[in-house]
Amino acid sequence: MNRREFLGQAATAVVAVSTLTSCHKGGSEVAPSDRVKLGIIGVGSRGQDLMQVFLRVPGVEFTGLCDVYEPRFTQGRKITGENTPIYRSYRQLLDARDVDAVVVATPLSMHAEHVGASLDSGRHVYGEKSMALTVEGCDEIVSAVKRNGKHYQVGLQYQYAPEYREALRIIRSGKIGRVLQIHAYWHRNNSWRRAVPDPKDAQLEQLINWRLYRKYSGGLLAELGSHHLGYANEVFGSLPESVTGSGGIDYWKDGREVPDNIQVTYRYPGGQTLFFSAVTTNRLEGCQIRIFATGGSIVLTQDGGTLYYEPSTEQSAVPQESIIEHGIITAASYKAEEPYRGKGKKLEVPSDTSGNPEYLACNSFIDCLRQNRHPEADENVAWKAGVSVALGNQAIDGGNKIVFSDQQSRGTA
Amino acid sequence: MTENKLFSGSCQAMGTRVQIHLYAGDENRAELYFEMAFDEIRRIDRTLSHYQDRSELTRINRSAARKAVTTDPEVFRFLELGFEYSRRSGGAFDVTIGPLVRLWGFFHGSMQVPSDDDLRQTLGTVGWQRVALDPAWRSIQFLTPGVELDPGALGKGYAVDRVVSLLRDEGVHAALIDAGSSSIYGLGSPPGKPGWIVRVPYPGNPSRCLSTVNLRDNSLSTSGSYEKFFRLRGRTYCHILDPRTGRPVGGMLQTTVISPHATDSEALSTIAFVSGPRTSLELLQETSGASALWVLGEPGTGDQIQTWNWTEPVLAVGGLAYRSSIEALLPEESEIQENAFQPSKELVTKGNDK
Repeated sequence: MNRREFLGQAATAVVAVSTLTSCHKGGSEVAPSDRVKLGIIGVGSRGQDLMQVFLRVPGVEFTGLCDVYEPRFTQGRKITGENTPIYRSYRQLLDARDVDAVVVATPLSMHAEHVGASLDSGRHVYGEKSMALTVEGCDEIVSAVKRNGKHYQVGLQYQYAPEYREALRIIRSGKIGRVLQIHAYWHRNNSWRRAVPDPKDAQLEQLINWRLYRKYSGGLLAELGSHHLGYANEVFGSLPESVTGSGGIDYWKDGREVPDNIQVTYRYPGGQTLFFSAVTTNRLEGCQIRIFATGGSIVLTQDGGTLYYEPSTEQSAVPQESIIEHGIITAASYKAEEPYRGKGKKLEVPSDTSGNPEYLACNSFIDCLRQNRHPEADENVAWKAGVSVALGNQAIDGGNKIVFSDQQSRGTA
Repeated sequence: MTENKLFSGSCQAMGTRVQIHLYAGDENRAELYFEMAFDEIRRIDRTLSHYQDRSELTRINRSAARKAVTTDPEVFRFLELGFEYSRRSGGAFDVTIGPLVRLWGFFHGSMQVPSDDDLRQTLGTVGWQRVALDPAWRSIQFLTPGVELDPGALGKGYAVDRVVSLLRDEGVHAALIDAGSSSIYGLGSPPGKPGWIVRVPYPGNPSRCLSTVNLRDNSLSTSGSYEKFFRLRGRTYCHILDPRTGRPVGGMLQTTVISPHATDSEALSTIAFVSGPRTSLELLQETSGASALWVLGEPGTGDQIQTWNWTEPVLAVGGLAYRSSIEALLPEESEIQENAFQPSKELVTKGNDK
């Protein structure tokens, strides 16, 4: 059954079920003036995922789909409705009147142009990560945000993951001491390649598999590592000061131009280190961030987080003065307390804040538009992660150490 | 391109093993198809799973008792279809059955017969009428606290249908998609064959074949009581519950339904199991291209086979006391020849947790 047929079946169902809904006030808290009309540039697989998630936010609708690959319109309209206007040029979409904000989900090399033009057209923007392919591209987007006074949120959705926020709260409270190391992984076991209807069509191959080609892509570091980098920058409260890297096309020798495995080490001004690894040939590690602090560790995955205290830093339960004054008590045995060793303690978050990070990020963006509130994953967060990615890729390419001096001297964008 | 080689791939998702066999020109091409198909299955699992903390269904279950929850068009259409089957089956299939399954311990817990009080209380949270859907806002609201959505195997059927659609769009002409043996789709057929062979086993005995189906551009789903059940004081309690009484369905061993879409076959095989041949016949008749096979009885007792629109031969095997076709389509027992068993080419369908 394809989605069209499914839609047909469901149309019958609406009649039957809606007879039950007379007492239902579903969604009526959203006033017509609160309806948010989104246009999207880039209706590929990531764009379609985002459309689906945005449509879970009450009052959101898509009023324009823009792409250069014709089949995307049919795919997109299956999600947004058969009558959603389509545009073959992003300029046409930006000329349309009923678009409040723009979602940009195009190949990385086009972010600066598409995000910049959307902001210049007076629209708020939700832009896919990473911010831009180059440092200059990141700078251009920050300038466009400032120039237009519009909101920009980057698609680093783990910034909104409740367990990630809780981990940050614990770290900032000092409970686990000083964080000196973060080891982060996104390990997969697949080609990272998508099927192309006509593999001999080189142009189509590059369009669909743009992530594999230098001209468009920042490779694994941009597409996977930017999440980890964005979070590490927040934990360390700074941009890195240097990065070394390595990587290669060692297994998937299929004409791709970006490495199929990378390892990068970032050094931060506070004497802290982020190590990030991405491979496409083994998925034992999966996606995780391991935070090592002097008093404990936190492991964050896509499903939540776990806290481990460091037993060696446990303070004696008896104050030193008391030992001198009253001595200690003898007993049959003494069992050292090692809280949360072994399986660790699951990071708990209030149930009303829990949820899918992607939904929370999209919902937050819409809320920012309605409340005229500044997004959390704003242009500064995006710029730091984007610049870290861009310079990390330079280190991988050159096999040398790249110093962030120029960027560092500017602090943040 | 000549597509003449058979490739097989599998992944663990939706609480089961999903296997895909397909014909492609080369291994690289086949790998891309597998990756695309398994990505889609995992996407649907992440969206429709009722036990994954971050799924869309969990988000709805968590909030819909407090307020109407808007969801995306795909999830809303899927739920509408589930509710439509609940309504049309008079509640024999019910997407709110989750609390009952948990009460009986069929979902992870230890299986037990609940007290009448517990059963009554749980039944107070079960029932498709306790949920309001608003198509204008694509919202879902629970009208009674404690309600939760658990579309069960319907999600598995939907995932199979989605994969079929994607593979077709990619130009795949022949593929067999098998989600845990209970939800199967035969896309096209292997070269020179009338279809993908699927064997319907005698309940609880995969080595004895009840009927052999050539599945071509069609889906097949099987529900069975023998996969999960417990016995207590001489009674057998199977894991398939009647949502209206809150109690396990009795007198039914296995149902198999064939229809053009796996989502429909999943719902219909459950309905056929819970309602039995006579009551579910109307719904089957309303579904174009549907056919069904029932094995009535209790484990270890005499069995009775009934079929509707079932064009493939049904074999008489030991223990079958009686066989009848609702519309007398089957040839006489003496005319039925036992098919040769070809384990490498055939697939056995079996009941799965619904």
